[in-house]
Formats: sequence, C-alpha cells, structure tokens
Amino acid sequence: MTPTLLGTAALALLLAMVLGGARPRLWLGLNSLGALAGLGAALVVLVSGHGLTWRGDFVLGGENVVLLLDAISALFLVLVCLVGGLGAVYAMEYWSDHHFPRSAPRGRVWWSALVLSMGLVLTCGNGLHFLFVWEAFALSAYFLITLDNDRAEVRRAGWLYLAASHAGTMALFAFFSALAAGTGSWELGPMHAHPGLAPLFWLALFGFGVKAGIFPLHIWLPSAHAGAPSHVSAIMSAVAIKMGVYGIVRFSGWLPIPDGAGWAVLGIGCASALLGIVFAMAQNDLKRLLAYCSVENVGIIMIGLGLALLAAAHGHPVWGQAALAGAFLHVLNHGLFKSLLFFGAGSVLHATGTRDMSRLGGLWQAMPWTAALFALGAAAVSGLPPLNGFVSEWAIYQGLLRAVIEKGQTFGVLPAVIVLAGTGALALAAFAKAAAVVFLGAPRGRTALQAAECGWAMRLPMIVPAVVMVCIGLMPGLFLRPVQGAIAAWAPRWAATDPLIPARALGGTHTVLACVLAAAAFLILRKVRANGTRRAMTWDCGYAAPTPHMQYTSGSFAGIVSGWFAWIVRPEKRTRRVRGHFPESALALERIPETVLEKGIGPAARTVLLLADAAKNMQHGRLHLYILYVFLGVTALGLLAVQGGM
Amino acid sequence: MSVFIDTSLRLLAWLILAPLLPGVINKVKAWVAGRQGPPVLQLYYDLARLWRKGVVISTLASPGFIIAPAVAWVAVIGAAALLPLAGADAPVSFDGDVLLLVYLLALARFCTAWGAMETGSAFEGMGAAREVSYAILAEVGIITAILTLAVQSGSISLSSMFEPLPGPSAALLAVGLFIILLAENCRVPFDDPNTHLELTMIHEVMVLDHSGPPLAMILHGASVKLMLFAVFLAQAVLPLSEVPLVMSLALLALAVLLVAVAVGLVESLTARLAFRRVPLLLTIGFLFCLFPLLLTWMGEI
Repeated sequence: MTPTLLGTAALALLLAMVLGGARPRLWLGLNSLGALAGLGAALVVLVSGHGLTWRGDFVLGGENVVLLLDAISALFLVLVCLVGGLGAVYAMEYWSDHHFPRSAPRGRVWWSALVLSMGLVLTCGNGLHFLFVWEAFALSAYFLITLDNDRAEVRRAGWLYLAASHAGTMALFAFFSALAAGTGSWELGPMHAHPGLAPLFWLALFGFGVKAGIFPLHIWLPSAHAGAPSHVSAIMSAVAIKMGVYGIVRFSGWLPIPDGAGWAVLGIGCASALLGIVFAMAQNDLKRLLAYCSVENVGIIMIGLGLALLAAAHGHPVWGQAALAGAFLHVLNHGLFKSLLFFGAGSVLHATGTRDMSRLGGLWQAMPWTAALFALGAAAVSGLPPLNGFVSEWAIYQGLLRAVIEKGQTFGVLPAVIVLAGTGALALAAFAKAAAVVFLGAPRGRTALQAAECGWAMRLPMIVPAVVMVCIGLMPGLFLRPVQGAIAAWAPRWAATDPLIPARALGGTHTVLACVLAAAAFLILRKVRANGTRRAMTWDCGYAAPTPHMQYTSGSFAGIVSGWFAWIVRPEKRTRRVRGHFPESALALERIPETVLEKGIGPAARTVLLLADAAKNMQHGRLHLYILYVFLGVTALGLLAVQGGM
Repeated sequence: MSVFIDTSLRLLAWLILAPLLPGVINKVKAWVAGRQGPPVLQLYYDLARLWRKGVVISTLASPGFIIAPAVAWVAVIGAAALLPLAGADAPVSFDGDVLLLVYLLALARFCTAWGAMETGSAFEGMGAAREVSYAILAEVGIITAILTLAVQSGSISLSSMFEPLPGPSAALLAVGLFIILLAENCRVPFDDPNTHLELTMIHEVMVLDHSGPPLAMILHGASVKLMLFAVFLAQAVLPLSEVPLVMSLALLALAVLLVAVAVGLVESLTARLAFRRVPLLLTIGFLFCLFPLLLTWMGEI
C-alpha cells in the first residue's frame, strides 16, 4: 500500500508541476492529491511501524535507484505533505492570478517542485541521488523566495540564500564523496562498521546546519523568510529548514559519532535557542521576528538531539529517549505552529500591506479569526500548557533533568536547563509582544484602519494546524507512540527500554485544564454580562485625550531585553528632537541589523575583496615585469629544492 | 471518592486562605508604622464587593480583555493544586509536574500581559513590557531552585522533591527564593503595591483598566500566587517530610505566616529600588539559588 501511495503522490505532484502553470484549479486538485497520498504513506509507516525499502531496476547516473521510508523520514514527510497541501490552498487566495498575473503561475510550478523534491530528499537512499534532489530542493526554494522579484530587497535575499545554501551544498558534496570513498558504495545506511568515518560528522553538521539555520550559519534565514510570499515563508520555516535538521538527525544515527559531538550539538543548540529568541524579541518586522524564532526552535531541537547523542555515548537509554522524543515531537510541533503563525502574518500583510509592527495595532476588530488563531499559535510557541509546544519542551526538560540528577559525567548539561528556561521566558515575551502589538490596542496607522478579514481559503490552512496543535496538547500519548518508532530507527538498541515519559498523566491534566479554562471563560463572560457593562474610553489614570501614538510600540516593548543584549543585537537608532526656533518634526527610527552577517561576515568579505583588488595591480600587461615574476619564482623554487635536498 | 473529597478540600484551602496573606502583610505594615490599618479580612470584603459590581470596558478592548483574567486565575489555581502540602500528596503527581507548575505561571503571565495590552494605553503597555522582561530572570532563578531540589532528592516530581537540604544550602536557597517571591508578587523593593499613580510600577499598572469580577479574579489570583510562592519556599527549606502530618501542616502554616510577616517588614523598612537596579537584585536572587545547587552537587559540607 505504501509504494502505491508514494507513487500516486509523486505522479500527482509531477503532473501538478507540468499542468499547474496555466490551470490553477487543476493544480490545486493535483497538489492536494499528492499531499494527501504522501501523508497517507507516511502515516501508514508511522502507525504500522514497518518501513519501506524499494530497490529500482533502472539506473540513474550509474547508480541504482533506492527509496527508503522509515519512521524518521515518515515523521518529516508528514510535515512536508501537511504544509505542502495547506500552503497551496492558502496560495490560491494569497498569491492569486488576479493580483499577480506574472508570478502566480510560476509560483504554482515551483511550489509543487519544492514539495516533490523535499519528499524525494526524505526518501532517497543513495548518496549521489541525494545530492541531485537536494540541489533541486534548494533551487526550487530559491525560485519561490524570489517570486516577487520586482523588489530589490527580495532579489538580495534570494541571492544571499542561494550563496549560503551552496556553501552548505559544497560541504555536502565533500561529505557524500568521502562517505562513498570510505564505504565503497553510494548507498546510504548504518555505517557503524567504519569507525574511521567519524570525523565526517562535522562536515555533515556544517552542510546540513546551514540549511537548518543553527546559530552562526543562520544568516540567510531572516531576510529570505521575511521577503518571500507568506505561504513560501511558511513552508520554508516550517518544513525546508527541517530538511537540514533531518540530515543532521539522519546521519547522527547512521554515522559513528566522534567524541564530543554530543556536547558540540548541545552547545550549538543552546546558542541558537538563546540568541535566536533574543534577536526575535528585538525585531520590529513581524515576519523577521517569526524567522528568528525558527532559529530558536531549531536550537531547542538541537538541545534534544545533543542530549540524545550524549546519552548514546554514555549509555543512558532512558533520558536519551526522553530527549529524542522531545526533539522529534518538537520538529512536528514547530512545523505546525510556525506555519500557522506565518499564515497569520501573511493574512495581516495581505490586509494592511505592511509587516512593520509599529504601523499595525487593533486588528482584532477587523480580523477576529486571524487574531484568535495567531494568539493560539503565539501561546503554543511560547510553550504554554495545555498546548503542543509545552509537551515537546517538557519531554526535553525531562531528559535534561534526569541527566542532571544522575550526577554522573553528564552533569555538565546543567547550563542547558537554565538556558532552556530563559529561552522559554524570552519566547513568551517575544510573542506577547508580537500578538499584542499587532492585534490589540488602537490602530497605529491608516493602513491598519482599512484592514479586512481574509477569506476561507486563507483561514482553513490556519484552522487545520490549530486543531492538530490542540490535539497534541490534549493527547500527547497518541502522538508520542509514532515518535517511539522514529527513536527505534535512530538507535535500534534503545527500542527495548521504556522512556518513562508520563504522557497519559500529562494528557489527562491538560484535558482537565482545558475544560476548566473553557468553563471559566464562559462563566466570567456570563457573569460580566449579568452585572452589566459600560463602554468607555481607556482610563489610563485619567488621560484626557489618548492617541494611538502614545501606545507602547514593538521597539519600546522590547527595550529592556534588547538593552540587556545590546552587545550582540546592536540596535541602530536615529532620533531627531524638536529643538531650536524652526524645528523639524521629531523622529525616532530603529533598525536591528543581522549582527553575524553585517558585523562579521560582511567586513570579512569586504577585506577579501580589497585584497583581491590589491592583487589586481600585479596584472598590468608589462612583459618585462612578468619575466621578473617568473625569474623570482623559479629562483625561490630552486632555493627551496636546494634547502630540502640538504 | 476520597480523592475527590481530598482535592476539593485542598482547593478550598487555597481559595479561602490565600486572601489572608495580603491582610497579614498590611497589618504588619500598619503596626510598624504605628497605624491601626485595614482589617485582616479586608481583601475578602473587597472581593465580595467587586464580584457584584458592573464592568467598565475600554472601547478598544476585545472579549479577550474579560477572558484573560479568568484564564490567568485558573492557571494560578492549577499551579497551586499541583503543589503537595507538607507530606500530603497532590491529587495529580507525575514526573516533570514541576515544569507544568512553572509553565502554568507563565500562562498566567501571558494572559495578564495580554489583558494589559488590550486597552492600548501607554501606561499598561509599559507594565506588560516590564513584567515579561523581569520574569525572564525570575524564571531562571526558579528553575535553578528547582534544579537544587531535584539534585538533592534525585526526583523530578513535586511529590518527592522536597527533601531536607543541609543547613547552609537551605539558608542560601531561602534568601534566593524570598527575593524571587518579592519580584514575582510585585512587592517592595521591586514594585510598590500601594502607589497607584506612580510611573515606576509593574503589576498594578497592568490592571488599571480592569474592574468588577475580572478585577476580583486578578486580585484573588495574585493572593493565591503569593501563597504558592510562600508554600514552595517553606517546603523547599524546612524538613517537613520528616515530621508527622498534623505537625508538618501546622509548621507549614506557621512558616507561610512568617513569610507574610517578613514581606510586611521588608515593605516597611526598605524603599523601592531604582528601576535599573531591579535586574541586578534579580540576578542576586538567581545567584543565591545557584550556590546551593553547586553545594549540593559538590556534596555536603
């Protein structure tokens, strides 16, 4: 059944690519069919626990085609198909032919290409073919990011993405070639029999880490996610960066692991989580905020994975499993709430035309659906019970705390607990800011006044993830069981131990909590209505004429935290005060630079260019000087040879 | 059936006893100042009156303005219900429930900040921003304290977490948790619950526009949160699990009362801190929680 479903999915997506450009409805049908079939295949594998290995008869590039679908790839495939299907529905209204006659057909073709290539990345069992489909995936993502290529900002973001992505791909070329040289075959699978391959893990960590957006390698992520159309941002943030996570997870399971890899991954995870959310908090652009939050969530996943690697190295299956279960579930959870949040941000952008939070506000009145769903997503991403974000963070915490209380060699994970706690509180601050500044209070600009709610084609893709999120929160056991299969695929020797995650107790508590919350909300609304209400202007300690400009803005809300982290966030402020006899109007502007790119890589690249420019002076076309170069070179070589000979 | 009765009794104890603490604090403050002060039961009268009052809602506010206080209230009560009381186990107990407690308090914070931002006032936005920012340091401190208890007891469930700490660790942890208690419950020196028109407050400013039953829920929730922190502090520091149940309950009540008196004394004898010093004091609180953790790890002194 699984091969049939996978075949249907591939065929439908291929047809959607070919036929979808001109016929939007046909494309939607084919794309949805492909996504549903892929989802079905993934769910069959997850529920039955039986993976699929399919060896094709035909040869491509000198290698037999091999398809693998085990529980790990099935878990990621669920995400690809879910967001791939929902995003297409969203695009029908958000990026319609009516509004974008030139780019919409192109967008449809590349969308299906992206979904198909990501599906192939997950199922590919041959290193050579993996590189092909990986490149196809990177390129289709590039064309989707630059869909709106009339804007210079978008072209720059696309270029940066392409450059960063190929830096990673270069490492992957080296990685897969060395792998094939080491094992003597391009076929992928467990390689624990070759301990000499262990150093290759670092190459994989870099190559896949660029795609995953772990901290110093995340430079392409904010501008690409902010500049792309919102359905593309959603699939990039929720799914495409997970392909990088998939690569790291996959090869950390298959490769022999070098000493210290667990600590390194844990450290990278802590840095990504903490700095990602600090940068998110400081942003004034709604979609950039969400993009940095993805860095944070990948960091949380890496904390779980790093702990699992440590557990594997020191032989502690119990907390290793808890941490890995948390990491896998967080992959799914982040995909769900991040797609919901990006769809919500897109709906705001669609209605108001701006992503700048300082110009938004009070949108709940015009857009109640978007506001409620975005608030739910914000609560989930902050890890608040009884929603799904808490479940996965809680499982990772379980692993961390168990590692600490054993007081063994792994006591050093203690700072990670404190970092995770700080990250949780910072995420709450960042999303309290995002949701409240955009949707509550009074509109801060004219654009926000004219907003209107989005249609059902944009609403439905937000409702579906919201429902799944609530289900994961209330029934964590149901979703942790398939995750167990993925753990068994990652570390087969752990399959026999019980992870000791009391999911039933948590699910029960969450269900009771949700019921009581709903009852309390209903009762207080009734009570307030019974007591009588009166609408009046905001009292605010007796302000006579409050204006929207008096409200706290996103920058002022984040002021305390960005002050603490000014050493890395480095906000650039420009203010003009009302001074003198003929003053200009007052002004306060704040820009949050991407520190790693603008203060680290940018200056380094400029230095290289300067040096290259200087080297150009040696190329002047004067023959006698060239002869001098040759003479000096030969003399130097000769001297070297004589020295070496002695 | 007995579980049901036990749970109801426990919830009733939290709901009914909690508003006593602010009364005690106010009595202590009045006594130090040589005044008579409001009656100890003042908060009960206030709550009863607020519950009957009508509500004035800002023209900008959504239904979330009414719902958020209710959600925050339920979250705080839920967190309190997870806490065992002096050897009497909580109705629900599982590995990692301590994290649920921390994150339920975070849910309450999210809702309070949400309610504050509903009104679109500069003042309440300022309070919300301060609340969520300072809470980062407070939450880090709480997690460190929890780590100390977990390492000492070798358990990550609240029911078996409160093992007696050695003397020096217990003393340090008591100071750290007391500082966090003051910050999280918006008492002097972090915040001044008396001044309603001061530009430098945190919690009070967030609830300026609330009235009627939602305000009653906020005030009651705040008192439950204060009692929750006091109970947590007492159990973390005192070796309550080693004495019989009745005795330990009495000791717990006494300790909670003492915490309230201490809060009152601090409030009478010190001034509110300048705002840039607040993170510094919170960091000191975090360090006071970190040292016992390191002591516990290195072994007994």
